[in-house]
Amino acid sequence: MRMKYLATSVAIFSSLLVLGWVTHGTGIVKDDPERNIVIPDELTSTLQVKAAFDGEKIYFRYRWPVDRPAIFNDVLVFQDGKWEARGGEALGPNPDFLTEDRVAMMIDDGSVPMFGRYGGYITIGQGLTTFTGTPETDEERTKYLPSTRTDPNKFDTVKPESDLERLRKAGQFIDLWQWRSSRSNPLGLADDGFVAEERGGDAGTGPYTTNFDKATGQPKYMFNPEVAGKTALSIDAVIAGDVGFNDAYYLSAETAVPFDPSLEWKNGDTLPRRFLRPTSGSRGDVVMPKAARWRNGYWDVTLVRDMDTGNTLDDKIFRDGGNYDLAFAVFRNSSTMRWHYVTLPVSLGLEQPAQLVAERIEPGTNPDWKQPWIEIKTFYPGQVTWGRLTDARQHPGADRIAKRVPVAVRHSEEQLALYGVQVEFAKEIKRQWIWTLIASLSLIVGIGININLLMRREEDAK
Amino acid sequence: MTQLTETPNPSTHARKEDHMKRSELMRRGRRIGLVTAALMLAGTGAALAHSAGGGVDVAVEGEPAFSLSPVYHILVAHFPVGLWMTAYLFILIRTFSDAEIAVRLQKAIWPVAALGTLAGFVTYSLGLTIYPLSAITESPLGRNHIMLATWTLSYWTVMSILGYRFRRHLFVGAQRWVTFTLATIGAMVITITGTLGGSLTGTPSLVTKSLGWIGWNVYMTFYLPNWMLVVFFSGAVLLVVIGVVGRRRHA
Repeated sequence: MRMKYLATSVAIFSSLLVLGWVTHGTGIVKDDPERNIVIPDELTSTLQVKAAFDGEKIYFRYRWPVDRPAIFNDVLVFQDGKWEARGGEALGPNPDFLTEDRVAMMIDDGSVPMFGRYGGYITIGQGLTTFTGTPETDEERTKYLPSTRTDPNKFDTVKPESDLERLRKAGQFIDLWQWRSSRSNPLGLADDGFVAEERGGDAGTGPYTTNFDKATGQPKYMFNPEVAGKTALSIDAVIAGDVGFNDAYYLSAETAVPFDPSLEWKNGDTLPRRFLRPTSGSRGDVVMPKAARWRNGYWDVTLVRDMDTGNTLDDKIFRDGGNYDLAFAVFRNSSTMRWHYVTLPVSLGLEQPAQLVAERIEPGTNPDWKQPWIEIKTFYPGQVTWGRLTDARQHPGADRIAKRVPVAVRHSEEQLALYGVQVEFAKEIKRQWIWTLIASLSLIVGIGININLLMRREEDAK
Repeated sequence: MTQLTETPNPSTHARKEDHMKRSELMRRGRRIGLVTAALMLAGTGAALAHSAGGGVDVAVEGEPAFSLSPVYHILVAHFPVGLWMTAYLFILIRTFSDAEIAVRLQKAIWPVAALGTLAGFVTYSLGLTIYPLSAITESPLGRNHIMLATWTLSYWTVMSILGYRFRRHLFVGAQRWVTFTLATIGAMVITITGTLGGSLTGTPSLVTKSLGWIGWNVYMTFYLPNWMLVVFFSGAVLLVVIGVVGRRRHA
């Protein structure tokens, strides 16, 4: 009879273990917009890249999967006599697809310490915009290089201008190329910027300006009806994805005329909140051979730049036979800010051994792109700061960072994505883990007492 | 010569035999002690050599005043794992066999398991000296390793106590299946703890991947939802109650 009690106890114990196994990891990780937390459905994805150069120009071709392209960024919608801004920034994916898709590439020539080993992680300081707990500020708190701060972990401790200039001259900046599906692509342009004391645009003008006059509360431009066949789009058509590449969907000198407030505007009339224009100066160094189109579930984008732009304080200069470090970010499914997919650093060689080898082409010709794609895993990085990674009290691998062990030696992209998510719930998960430890220990003690009480010796039976 | 033909006094003979046995045991003990000491020295030497990282030492923010190279923990961890798995092997053999060799091996189960538990405590303590507790408990993999190591150690402590208290009775009748089930669970937690340790040092095994296939990505912290915590605590109480009631009814 005592055997029945024993068997029942072991069955209960085993069942609880199985139940624990099945239910573990639930109940904590979920979207929490109050704390700026939105977890992407997919934590990893893929970016394909190729590169070529002809001694004068360097080309990069990018291809990445997107279920539905977002060709609009922020828009102005006429509603009850007012033009209201919609879209642009959003927490996580924009359900109305009013946040553009993007690809960004950071470039370094070896001047920035640690970039080649840790990539974009070195640019993530404390208290950046959209990070949990960061108060909303008028000015965006962007990524920055640790060397530009007296205390690398404090955003507000920017070094004096003279120090920043010295650092810049020493090459302590990252070149940043950005392609935007709405704010640069229609004109075959990109945006040339940098990361140093901030993430900013190079000298010159970028490919877009704001199509809104704050004084009048009205747009500055509308569609030219002679070109577009209408003066505005319909918000329903925009959200439904009924406006495509063959429609006039962007405002530029070719498609727009000055806004006419006297027209009879009706609710739902929609205009892009950005007016596209040619770029100038160093900011306009990166262009496209032609505007990209989304086809068969993929964006396929090619960017080109002079290898030597002459702008040595803005751009990293590519030299024939040189090696460089790259890191990419992909914004897909209509997401922006920190809801992007990033890559670990990737080495680039101009006809040199590297992870990504740029092929030499004949001067003045276009690449035939016959070389195979390089597949690069992209991942959601969460909210992992450089300060956290380099602090031995918070990261067991801090000593290995101090010894310059590259991140890829110890962590895979999948792992980093999972860690990134868990950091967003660090306190809650740790608390739950401690309780789990206590509860499971109590269960082991329980079965121990149980068996000791119920098991019997042969002599007990006599 | 007369001594040779002299009839030995039985009690003297027994004492002599006893003495010889003790001497033999002492000799064996000394040999084992020497070999063990030599192995420990060799191991420590290897650990020290392995921990010499080379290069230039760099100050790290928040670095603890004292920490021990992981190699010591890794080195020592093989002892409890080996001993516990040996105990499990003996349990397996005894569960399925009543042969003489199985019965003999059964006698070694509790000492081997208890030695494993002893080595387990040393390994656990060494493990806690590698990283600051604040850091290792921030790492999902670190948390999981601590969790599984705690389970393993506590579980095999229980198993050692059971082994010591019940010895051959563990395999009497249907009780052998209880022993077998509990030991199998014990072997599983050892395996998982070991593979997590490997993953933590950057060498994940196929076991790590296999755990993912059956529902646990080890790079996610293992934690239970609140309702399961309640179920676990209740389960612990229930098990104790069943034990007490069962014993009283059949005392």
